[in-house]
Amino acid sequence: MLKCRELVHEADRLLDDDLNWRGRLAVRFHLLICHHCRRYVRQLRLLLAAIPAMHKMATEREVAEVMSHLPADQPHTGETGNGRSEEP
Amino acid sequence: MNTNELQQLKAGDRTQFAELVRQHHHALIALVTPIVGTSEAEEVVQNAWLKAYRAIAGFEARAQIRTWLGRIAINEAKMQLRKRKRETLFADLGETSQNTDPLASRFKQDGHWQHPPASWHSDSPDSLLMSEDLADCLDRLLTHMSDNQRTLLEMRDSGGLPFEEICNELSISASNARVLLHRARAQLFKLVDHYQETGEC
Repeated sequence: MLKCRELVHEADRLLDDDLNWRGRLAVRFHLLICHHCRRYVRQLRLLLAAIPAMHKMATEREVAEVMSHLPADQPHTGETGNGRSEEP
Repeated sequence: MNTNELQQLKAGDRTQFAELVRQHHHALIALVTPIVGTSEAEEVVQNAWLKAYRAIAGFEARAQIRTWLGRIAINEAKMQLRKRKRETLFADLGETSQNTDPLASRFKQDGHWQHPPASWHSDSPDSLLMSEDLADCLDRLLTHMSDNQRTLLEMRDSGGLPFEEICNELSISASNARVLLHRARAQLFKLVDHYQETGEC
């Protein structure tokens, strides 16, 4: 059976949907009986959802600097310069 | 960004594009800094914005826009490395072999919790990192995090790139990537947990 120390490693894979059925079963069973680890997984999920917003907004000066280097007319090519259109 | 704003963005609305820059510029800087260094990150991201501006009409929202922008920025970072004749995005520092799990001290020898997580007051992602004190501590933590751990965190958790794609981009094994990502996440968890418990960090 998983120990709590091992669970915190498996929690990363659980939340990335990167566990096989046997791994998921082991994690689920542990979570059933351990409220500390249930809290850990719940709060890690919250943290991961918050990380994309952890960077501050750019300042007006930074935005203006970026925009000043862009061409006045948008060419609408859909190209990102590496030969692929939609996905860069 | 709602559907209407996305349509305006794709139609070439510069105001919407400026909003995109406002929201994602710092995240892109953070994404490429561990790869190309602080001195070249601004230039790389500026080039990425130019590519994104030219390509935005082709964005079809199959991916998150942060992920789409992140891929463009990583391509630009790789081009910059090629110009500098550097082969790899990722320096093998041997750090995955060191026993430096940030949460190691939270467990007893038998593997059970000695110091379990506190019960956090915030219950929404929007409010969790809003405190200015915590944001400053988070900045310091990220600044001092190893480049390799930071790269994994920025690519996976901020940029939303798929784990397998990250391993391919960085030419590292999935097990090494898992160790680095876990250590990065565990440092953040420990910081937020301590802040939630004590109000300071």
